[in-house]
Parts: sequence; structure tokens; C-alpha cells
Amino acid sequence: MKMINLKYSEILKLNKNLEKKDKTSSYNISLLSNITIHQSKEVIEYSIRKEGINANITLGEYDNIIQDSKKQSNNSAVIIFWELAHLFEGFHYKVELLSEIEVVALEKKLKSEIIFVLENLKSCQLVVFNKFSSLLFTSLNIHSSRLNLLKNKLNEYLESLESNNIKLANIDDVISYIGYEKSFDLRYFYSAKAPYSIDFFKAYATYIKPLLMSINGKSKKILIFDCDNTLWKGILGEDGFDGIEMSSETENGKIFQEVQSIASYLSKQGILIGLCSKNNLDDVNNVLFNNEFLVLKDSQIAIKKINWSDKASNLLEISKELNITLQDFVFIDDSEFECNLIKELLPEVTVLQVPKKLINYPKMLRDNLGLFYKFSNTYEDSLKTQMYHHQKQRSANQVNFSSIDDYLRSLDLKLKIYKNNSKQISRIAQMSQKTNQFNLTTKRYAAGEINKMMLNKKIIIYTFSVEDKYGDSGVTGLSIIKKDKDIAEIDSFLLSCRVIGRNLEYAFLDYFIQDLKKQNVKTLNAKFIKSNKNIQVNNFYDECTFKVIFENENTKNYSLMVNNYSKDQINYIKVTTNE
Amino acid sequence: MNKSSEEKIKNVMSIVFDIPINQINDGTSAKTTISWDSLRHMNLIIGLEEEFEIEFNDDDIGNLLSFSSINSYINKLI
Repeated sequence: MKMINLKYSEILKLNKNLEKKDKTSSYNISLLSNITIHQSKEVIEYSIRKEGINANITLGEYDNIIQDSKKQSNNSAVIIFWELAHLFEGFHYKVELLSEIEVVALEKKLKSEIIFVLENLKSCQLVVFNKFSSLLFTSLNIHSSRLNLLKNKLNEYLESLESNNIKLANIDDVISYIGYEKSFDLRYFYSAKAPYSIDFFKAYATYIKPLLMSINGKSKKILIFDCDNTLWKGILGEDGFDGIEMSSETENGKIFQEVQSIASYLSKQGILIGLCSKNNLDDVNNVLFNNEFLVLKDSQIAIKKINWSDKASNLLEISKELNITLQDFVFIDDSEFECNLIKELLPEVTVLQVPKKLINYPKMLRDNLGLFYKFSNTYEDSLKTQMYHHQKQRSANQVNFSSIDDYLRSLDLKLKIYKNNSKQISRIAQMSQKTNQFNLTTKRYAAGEINKMMLNKKIIIYTFSVEDKYGDSGVTGLSIIKKDKDIAEIDSFLLSCRVIGRNLEYAFLDYFIQDLKKQNVKTLNAKFIKSNKNIQVNNFYDECTFKVIFENENTKNYSLMVNNYSKDQINYIKVTTNE
Repeated sequence: MNKSSEEKIKNVMSIVFDIPINQINDGTSAKTTISWDSLRHMNLIIGLEEEFEIEFNDDDIGNLLSFSSINSYINKLI
């Protein structure tokens, strides 16, 4: 859960649970400040303890930054909250009354104090110095305050001092991100010198977290994208090469153009980019090599797993082939099913889901760029993708997942099967026209034709809708059966690609074979007709114990003695009917 | 008296003051609780404000120094 959505008391509790008795291996951070910021201790601790860093924060003495800076040799990191408004009691209004000369003298004194403090912290691995801010006293007033001018001068000075171990945190970014009202709590400013709200500290902890993660070697190294509706708008297998969008000329395309640019930027920073998508490799390669609007180039992609295997196995293979631990992985997909599969099976992987509202997608990615933050980028970093291309060693070992079934079981899958449901005519026609990948015969029917079939006693149209604990996918499966006495034929069998990978096809087939049996069908014939897109199902009927009776380059004809058919042993899909 | 709000208050107090929840009763106050200092008092108010999605009046904060006064104060607000 995001920090900002956790209550303070929840953070206190969670943080305490993560506290380790062993202080010898702890990552010690000291917070120095001239204001009251004690709530930030647990919030910052928790933000990195939950990532496996055994953080321990101590608070310096109140308003004692200068003296405290001498006593930091035991700490790995020091965070400095130096509040301009409280340089001395009432500073924020008293400064406006000072003379020009007094302000210059003050500026000089402050600069020498800053230098003194930073000199003392020279050997500290990381110093996070908050830039000075005057936003607490901002107003809708064009007149610039002296406080503001002083702030600008001091920040300019701070910027000149930024170095390998001294990092500036621009708290104005944090304040503007969550808003003025949420950032401050004036009730405690006057009574306890505590201007910042708990929401501010939650956002601040998120803001500086990349620094603390990076210095602890916990920056993410690889970002794995799904393709359809993640790298481009649309489903390649259904919408086709010309139907997907990633050009800045269309509204949706713009969003994906921006996403690809972010990925491309990361690649230039030495972050590896990978693809993991249920698609045909040739189709995806065609896009990568020939789509004129593509920003993320094939050469920037370190590894591709474009196949029909489950994504957890694919990520494990990537981890093996590139020798990168799963903790270093970020995986992004638009499908809730795929995201949850990875969360359940590979909990070490950081999973991002494309927001339902597409306009929030680029922002979501930008919000997560901190995951990849690195202190410095080297020339080697920018060559990393190339290096991996050269080093890649394919491991022949197939990664098997016994727990895929466990995951599917946890989903609470409910299959509702319909027979000749005339309300679904337009959806049935649409599925027959759009579905390419899981489609055994790829026969296309118009709504009028489906309507006729519904009236034909010799034709049965089975459809299903599917629901799991995350929601309802609607009508997503279809089979059209033509029947003649005791012989029947599967004319069409298809599943929409958004429900592939849940073994629904087996439960669906089980159901309608039993139903046909009740109607005295003895022989069930079926066909696989090869298309450019349906290679993933070329052995589907073989797996379901149908016998091949004829085969050529493009077609396989099958037959099944209905009495010999044994049901698949899938007990985690609850099947109901709507007859 | 709203039982669940009482439980919620005790829960936040127990976390903030780091004391077992069953030790908190009507007699619990800043005087009887060693860890109830001014900083933790601030934490308590923040915790309760988030828990009940309310805002305490700044004039009242300093007077709410016992479980029973907080409980009756919150029950008036929610």
C-alpha cells in the first residue's frame, strides 16, 4: 500500500513489527532539525524497513544542528531539516523588518554555518539536505517577501555545494505535490514548532526513499513491459499491425508515445527494458522493426519473452538468463489477472498496473521512476543493454510452476455457461470477428448469421461469462456446434484473449461435451484451421484427447468418441448454467 | 456509548503510548501513563484525527489528557 494511504497509527504499528533486535547490522540515520519533526522518524523508518533495510533513526537534539553535526561518525546517513522560518523565534515576520545590511550579514552567517555543518559531515555516506522553503508563508500576493529572497539566495548556495554524498531534497516539490492545506498544520507551528503535517512526512518519506534505496544497493535494475495496452494501445493479435496506436497523432497514441519515451529514457540510464507478452513473436517483432511511431527501439530491449507460457515462468527465465535477482525486477501490465499472478507467485517483483484511466498512465510511471534512481550514471550503464545482448545465455531448463494451479484456485473462478442466448447475438458476432489468438477455426460471422443459427434446431451456440474475485470479464468464450443426429461438429471454438491462461477452455469443453452427450451425441468432430495468429492452440484438441483423423499443412481434423472422453480434473472453476 | 469508537481510541492510544490495550480504561490519563508526554500527545491527536476523520479544535487539544475526556470529546464530534 502507498505510504500516503496508510494511517499514522498503522505506520507506527507496522514499523514496530519490522523492528529488528539486532542493532549491529542496522542502517543508522540521524535527523537533525531546528523544528519539531519527531513523527517523521517512524514514517521514514517504515518506508525503507519494508524494503528490507534495517533502518534505525535517531533524532538530534532540538534546534541543535550545528553542534549535532559533529557527532555523526556512527551514522550512515544524515537528514537535515533546516527550517528558514524558524532560524530564530518569529524569524518569518521579523526578517521583513530587518535592514538591508542586516539581511546581508545574516545571509553570510548562514552560509558559513552551512559550510561548517557540511564539513563536519564530509565522511558521512549520505547527507540529505532539504532545500530551504518559504511556502509555509506563501500568499496570493505578487510582492516578494524578504524571506523568499533569502531563501532563493541560500538555495543557490546549496546547489553549488551538492556533491557525491550531499543530496538536496526540494521539499517545495513535496508540498506542491500534496498541496498547501495538506502539507502544513499551523496548530502545531505556533504551539510546538511543528509546521509539517503527517501527510507531508508520508510524502517526504516517499520522495527521499530512492536516495536511501540506492545507497543500500536496492535500486531496481530491469523494467519488464507487457505489450498490448501497455506499450501500445490495442491488442496486436486482434486489432492488427495497423490497428494499434502509439503515434502522437492520436489521443491514445500520445499516451503510449510518452510511456515509450520514459522507457527509452530509462534504457539510456542503464536500466534494462524487457518485454513479456502473450503474443506471437513474429507479430511483435514486426511492430518493433516496422512501426514508424515506435520510440522504444528493438535495440533498447534487453530481452523478450513473447510466447504463450505463464508470465511468472517467463520472469523466472529472464532472471536466470540475465542473472538478475527478482528483487531487482519491476513488471508492468494492464491485466489485473497477470499483475496478481506475479504478486502471488513472485512476491519479490515490484508490480505496476496500467491505471484504468489511461490519462493517469504516464504520471503513474513518472511517480515510480524513483525505483530506478541511481546516484551516478556511468558510460557502462548506457551500454548495459548491449552487454546483456552479448552475454545472454539461454538456459534450456524449463521452469515449471506447480503453484499456477494454486494461484488459479485462489481466484475463485466462476464460469457461467449460456446456451442459445439471443441477447448475446451482437457480442457473439463481435467475438467471432475479432478473436484471432485463441480461435480454432477463425470463422467470422455477422450478427444476422448468428441470429439465423439461433433459430436452427441443428445448431447449438454455447457461450460463457467468467467472474473471479477481482471482477466480471463478461461474455468471453464461444463455441458453435453443428449437430446431425448422433454426430456433432465444433464449428467454432474461441476465447477472448483477456481470459486466456485460466484453463477456462477445459472447463468449458467439459461442460458442453457432457451436455451433448445428454443429447445422444456419440461422435464429436473438430477442426483446427491454422491462421497467422492462432499457433498457440494448434495442439488444443490433441491435449483434450481428440484423435487426429486427417492432417495437412493448414488443417487438422479430429474426432472424439464422446463416451471415451474423460473430464479434465480442474476442480477450482465453478461452473453454472443459465438455461 | 459507542463501543467501537471506544475500541478505536484504545487501539490508537495503545500504539502511540506503546502500552497493552487492556491496560487502558477510564482511569487512564497523562498522569498515570509515563509515555504520555507532550510529543506523544501530538502523535495521539494526529492518530485519532486520521482514525475518525475529524479535526480537533486547537483550543481543546491541550485539555484532552485522559481517555475518558477524549472519548466523550470524540463522541460529540462523530
